[in-house]
Amino acid sequence: MSFLADYIYYIGAFGLILIGLYILLTKHNLIKMIIGICVLDTGVNLLLVSLGYIKDGTAPIFSKPGLASENMVDPTVQALVLTAIVIGVAVMAMALSLAIRLYQHYGTLDMRKIKEQRW
Amino acid sequence: MEISNWVNPILLIAVPLAFAFSIPLFGFISKRVERFIPPLAMLFNLVISLILMPEVIKRPIVVSLAGFPPPFCINLFAGPVGILFSAVIALVGFLVSIYALDYIKEGAEEKYHMLYLSLLTGATGVVLTGDIFNLFVFFEILCISSYALVGYLGNRAGVESAAKYLIQGSVGSAFILIGIALLYGQFGTLNMADIAGNIHSVSPIQIFIPLVLFIVGFGIEGAIFPLNAWLPDAHSSAPSTISAVLSGIAIKIGIYAIARVVFTIFGASDMLLFLVLLGLLTLLVGELSAFSQNNIKRMLAYSSIGQIGLILFALGIGTDYGIAAGLFQFITHALSKSLLFLATGYMIYRVGSMEISSLEGIGKKMPLSSLCFTIGAFSLIGLPPFVGFPSKFWIVLSVLEKHSTLYIVFIGIVLLGTVIEAAYFFKVIQVLYFKGDTEETDPIVNKIPEASVVQEVKSSNAVKTGAPIVALIPMVILVLLIIGIGIYPKFLGDILNSSSLELLDRIKYIQGVLR
Repeated sequence: MSFLADYIYYIGAFGLILIGLYILLTKHNLIKMIIGICVLDTGVNLLLVSLGYIKDGTAPIFSKPGLASENMVDPTVQALVLTAIVIGVAVMAMALSLAIRLYQHYGTLDMRKIKEQRW
Repeated sequence: MEISNWVNPILLIAVPLAFAFSIPLFGFISKRVERFIPPLAMLFNLVISLILMPEVIKRPIVVSLAGFPPPFCINLFAGPVGILFSAVIALVGFLVSIYALDYIKEGAEEKYHMLYLSLLTGATGVVLTGDIFNLFVFFEILCISSYALVGYLGNRAGVESAAKYLIQGSVGSAFILIGIALLYGQFGTLNMADIAGNIHSVSPIQIFIPLVLFIVGFGIEGAIFPLNAWLPDAHSSAPSTISAVLSGIAIKIGIYAIARVVFTIFGASDMLLFLVLLGLLTLLVGELSAFSQNNIKRMLAYSSIGQIGLILFALGIGTDYGIAAGLFQFITHALSKSLLFLATGYMIYRVGSMEISSLEGIGKKMPLSSLCFTIGAFSLIGLPPFVGFPSKFWIVLSVLEKHSTLYIVFIGIVLLGTVIEAAYFFKVIQVLYFKGDTEETDPIVNKIPEASVVQEVKSSNAVKTGAPIVALIPMVILVLLIIGIGIYPKFLGDILNSSSLELLDRIKYIQGVLR
């Protein structure tokens, strides 16, 4: 039980990553695939944040006297996640605008039907 | 003291990035100015790289940002490898952007130039950075700009390829980020030298998983065999200038990242045989698929996959000579493949189709472009006076030096790949020069939907004439470089040798950063 309590964030993060990959592998609708990428990104971000998480930890700011640095969460990973979120948003915007264009050209978002390019 | 005081490698990233985002501002002054910004920025980068090159051969330059010493800051590591790559990126970027002055005249021009510059900035950043998360960020700049540029024309083929490229590429990026998270969890640092110094303090299985994630993630961008599905679509449906940059630079960055991760960070010399096998498979699959193509740009794209395989093979040999040969092959491919794509660009404009059979007799109508195509093809095959010959020769020599029967078999397979390559290039050259006197040929089934071709040939002025002078200049410069380096390969000897030493000598890299 304590294993679950200790590793719940990692389990959640890898669960989200696997769900995202599953969506990407099994769904054919482009919008659903983009949602899959989104879930995958969220899982990775959660993994990063949980690496630096301490239970009952505070932000690493010496605002009050008596704050020990052992009780502070790791700020580096939070900076990384911030960057990763911004990158994810950019990819998402790009993907959705491509989806709009694709729909204008083909009248469908089913990737099984959109395959003029191939070997 | 000297040059490194006033020329800082950080300029190589900062100046093009600043130019990229100021292009719309220049657009306020005059719409005609915009297109001259990318050549300007890339010329600057080329000059800076060439100035720094003799410096970094003596001693790598480590730039720490924000005033903290390395492991605590983000640092740039401008070693021989980084400066060699940034010089090649700047050279190809400069020549292709001159070609684009005339070639790009429809669509959202300013966005094209912005994305083009940010793509090259991302590539330069990846090769110069010494921080693994920073590497990821620059890699994403490169990837996102290339997704947008592949779909730049907004036609059916372009948008479809861009969407597929984006989905595969973002899965790759997610894998890289998971790998970075796992490394950070174990070592508590993002500095590549710091990770490299501690890498053997944990059990092998714990570093094996991030290593595999990195190889898969960067392998998608580098189009290594099982991960190459996006490349032929993306490279063949983008405008020719973009194909040239994607083929000449973008995919090499994936290979660079794999080399940096495997050699420097992980020091995984037991992984090398796996890389060699992957390289061989990629080479054979690429060349065999290229052989069966009817579409010229698609053929060149598959040929790029084959060349990537060859570079990976040479890097995987793992001796200093082999790595130098791999980097030499990288230069060969960057020069030759961008020349091939540029030469093809106006041929496609003129005949209005990408089918190889429709290029019949173009050798008489566009003699200079055809000559450039021929020289690029000969160079890739590895015929003597051109740059492809010494680089392939070095690969063969480095294998022979290895004295291993297994590798002798491998080099036999590589030479078989070269024969296939020669076969399909000679097929095209034969169509260019020696066909077309015969009257009309039966119309081949057009695999490309007409719409995509029509968009690319819409401006009818260019259809009548050959390539304009602005487009010929970069091609001629590339031809001169190909012949010049081919005749005197020792010209690159110093930088290639010290580059291969940088990749092999991890201890020196770590000590160089963490003094």
